Amino acid sequence: MRKFIVLTAIAFSALVLIQSCSKSSDNNTGPTTTTTTTTTAANNSFDRKAMLTNMSTNIIVPAYTAFQTAASNLDAAVTAFNTSPDAVKLSALQTAFIVAYKQWQTTGTFELGPAAVINFRVNTNTYPADINQINANVSSGTYNPNLLANLAAKGLPALDFLLFGVGTDNTAILSQYTTDVNAAKRKTYLAALTTEMKTNATTVATAWTSTYPATFIAAAGTDAGSSTALLVNELVYDYEILKNFEVGIPAGTQSMGITYPAKVQAYYSKISVQLATAHLTALQNLYLGKSMQGDGIGLDDYLNKVNAQKAGTSLDATVKAQFAAAMAKLQTLTDPLSDQIKSSPATVSAAYTECQKLTVLLKTDMTSALGILINYGDNDGD
Amino acid sequence: MLISAKELIKKHVLTPAHIAPLAVLRIAFGSIMLISTIRFLLKGWVYSFYIKPKFHFTFYGFDWVKPFGPTGMYVLFGLMVVSSVMVIAGLLYKVASTAFFLTFTYVELIDKTTYLNHYYFVSVMAFLLILVPAGRYFSVDVWLKPAVEVSNVPAWTINIFKLQLILVYFFAGISKLNHDWLIDTMPLKIWLPGLTNLWLVGPLLGYTWVAYAFSWFGALFDLTIGFLLLKRSTRKPAYVMVIIFHIFTAWFFKIGMFPYIMIAATLIFFSAETHKNMIDYLRRFWFRQKIIHTDVNRNYLLKEAWAKLIYGVLIIHFTIQVLLPLRYLAYPGKLYWTEEGYRFSWRVMLMEKGGTIFFYVKDPATGGQTEIVNSQYLSQFQETQMSTQPDMILQFAHYLAGRYRAKGIKNPVVTAQSYVTLNGSGSRLYIDSTVNLANERESFGHKRWILPFQKN
Repeated sequence: MRKFIVLTAIAFSALVLIQSCSKSSDNNTGPTTTTTTTTTAANNSFDRKAMLTNMSTNIIVPAYTAFQTAASNLDAAVTAFNTSPDAVKLSALQTAFIVAYKQWQTTGTFELGPAAVINFRVNTNTYPADINQINANVSSGTYNPNLLANLAAKGLPALDFLLFGVGTDNTAILSQYTTDVNAAKRKTYLAALTTEMKTNATTVATAWTSTYPATFIAAAGTDAGSSTALLVNELVYDYEILKNFEVGIPAGTQSMGITYPAKVQAYYSKISVQLATAHLTALQNLYLGKSMQGDGIGLDDYLNKVNAQKAGTSLDATVKAQFAAAMAKLQTLTDPLSDQIKSSPATVSAAYTECQKLTVLLKTDMTSALGILINYGDNDGD
Repeated sequence: MLISAKELIKKHVLTPAHIAPLAVLRIAFGSIMLISTIRFLLKGWVYSFYIKPKFHFTFYGFDWVKPFGPTGMYVLFGLMVVSSVMVIAGLLYKVASTAFFLTFTYVELIDKTTYLNHYYFVSVMAFLLILVPAGRYFSVDVWLKPAVEVSNVPAWTINIFKLQLILVYFFAGISKLNHDWLIDTMPLKIWLPGLTNLWLVGPLLGYTWVAYAFSWFGALFDLTIGFLLLKRSTRKPAYVMVIIFHIFTAWFFKIGMFPYIMIAATLIFFSAETHKNMIDYLRRFWFRQKIIHTDVNRNYLLKEAWAKLIYGVLIIHFTIQVLLPLRYLAYPGKLYWTEEGYRFSWRVMLMEKGGTIFFYVKDPATGGQTEIVNSQYLSQFQETQMSTQPDMILQFAHYLAGRYRAKGIKNPVVTAQSYVTLNGSGSRLYIDSTVNLANERESFGHKRWILPFQKN
């Protein structure tokens, strides 16, 4: 009897084996490409620690340090302006603001570890700014940074409004800090915002210039919670922010085609396109592992190491080409972006569509080729 | 021939066997379920899977299964905990095992996002456990009412679990006999190099030959282990293999309680003697009983009508168990791509599949179109699962159509641009992006709007 069972089992398995083999060869009737022959001795292990070290030392830490400097300079410019507001100091303050905003584009991506603890990203850059909330905070003279309603009334977007949007030109803006009834309160609010941002920037920079890099580099697996998984997730997530918030939503992609020009990033300072291209460059550098120190180990090297393919060519080449295509489309946009959305919405929509293609490559092709889950939560698999 | 068939049935169905394996199974299974349920609660999954999401992907035909709201869900999990404790103790066993089966299965039916083969396995085991008198030995029921104790049960009460386990492993093995698994060594070729930082074995996992070794060994293990456990002469080494295999998978992959469930369940293959020894051990060291327990020599008697009913249920159950994993043959296209006939078939860890999907809702009256932010309606987990499974894509499309109808748009057109990559294929368009999904109906039929899988 047992012999019978075993024999049946073997016969059945053989049958299924033959069937499934023939079935899969049936499916291969499409155009076949020559696949690179991999020998069994090939080693696909990639030095993730080296990649994480490069990213930590040469990309993340310099970004946080630079943002900390920019935030401190901005705060100092506010202090100087508040002491004796004049056109020169206003101009200097506006310049410091633009420097900080540009630096933020290369800094906001890394919402893991110390930055995640203080919700650095939403606290620094939630837009469109809530003008009513800002004005209410100014006139009441009270401001609670922990209030959820104040997320859109603080950080860079609120400063964007306070420094560029409270008057039609710098003379009018200056009067809001000199002769306006709420001038004193407005100065206080301005100072509160830049101080908060400086404090946050210092908190995160301090962690990254002391103990956190060791923790970051040590978590060198690919499981949920590993640094590679967190970083890839944040790269994908931050790219979504760029695509949706900096381009798509103002162009009406999520509103039945009705455009919202005022929802662009940096609406008042009118540097939306500059910021978006800076942002895309930063994300591309993270992908490449590229920094002031040169082209270090990045996700491109990781994809090549595991021989990731896409439609017969290297996935890395496809991703690089799409970064270039997205950048080319972003460069067809002009500041002020809000005006272009009104005058030529199709150009903006076209840029969005091109950006969308990179989402698929980063979110699906790259993460799947590396076996990284796009999952911020936690669950079992089988 | 007729006589041998009759004898075969007699041997495997009616021959009296000692009840000890059932008591051990009850305790082992109940314990794992207790741990599993408490773990689920502690991880906060009741909230994140069943309370927080606004929308749930119910199973076809089970739309009536709805989450109960915060209090109700925690009460349900509370009942699950209580009933698994009662199963372990053998207290009001019939009620407890039925309650556990119902509560567990209800939760699993709420949302197919959380579907796992081992949750399905738990439901199946819990169902079979209702049918057998596992509470009639070494239990609180017996302690309270010694008259219910039996020592002998018909062989079928034990053999159904062995048969079920053999089917699970064997079908899991068969599902690995394909080009992706054996020749391309997918998905292990992707997953193993991600584990190179593991202690001791890590450096080996980057090698392609290791992926081959694991793939082929895994297939061989699944195909043969059930039979090796069945055979007395190979049972002990086979069980050692079970432990090693499952501990390794637990270490390598994030598969939750599955390895431990299988290690506990396969105990059933051991002889009655072994099980009696285990119970004696528990009696002596756990309960400090000094007097050696002597069994009452009493057979488990089942009213003929009940017996017939149970036989009928079991015949239907095992027919389904054999046919369900084969139903994929009725669908065209590549199974891993379409996933038509994929669930409930013991297909475990066969795919590295990922997707991105953009839904669009169009107002036919104005021509205006909106791209949907999936995360506005779905949890990250739901979105991830949905993006690669056509039935879930359709369910979400219908949900969106309903939402936009409620916003006053007549006949909203719902389309999706969906890109999926399967076992390193690179992403390609998954479903026909021109089809108005709002007009497509769910059925057991093939979904024509799934684009065929072309490997490059």
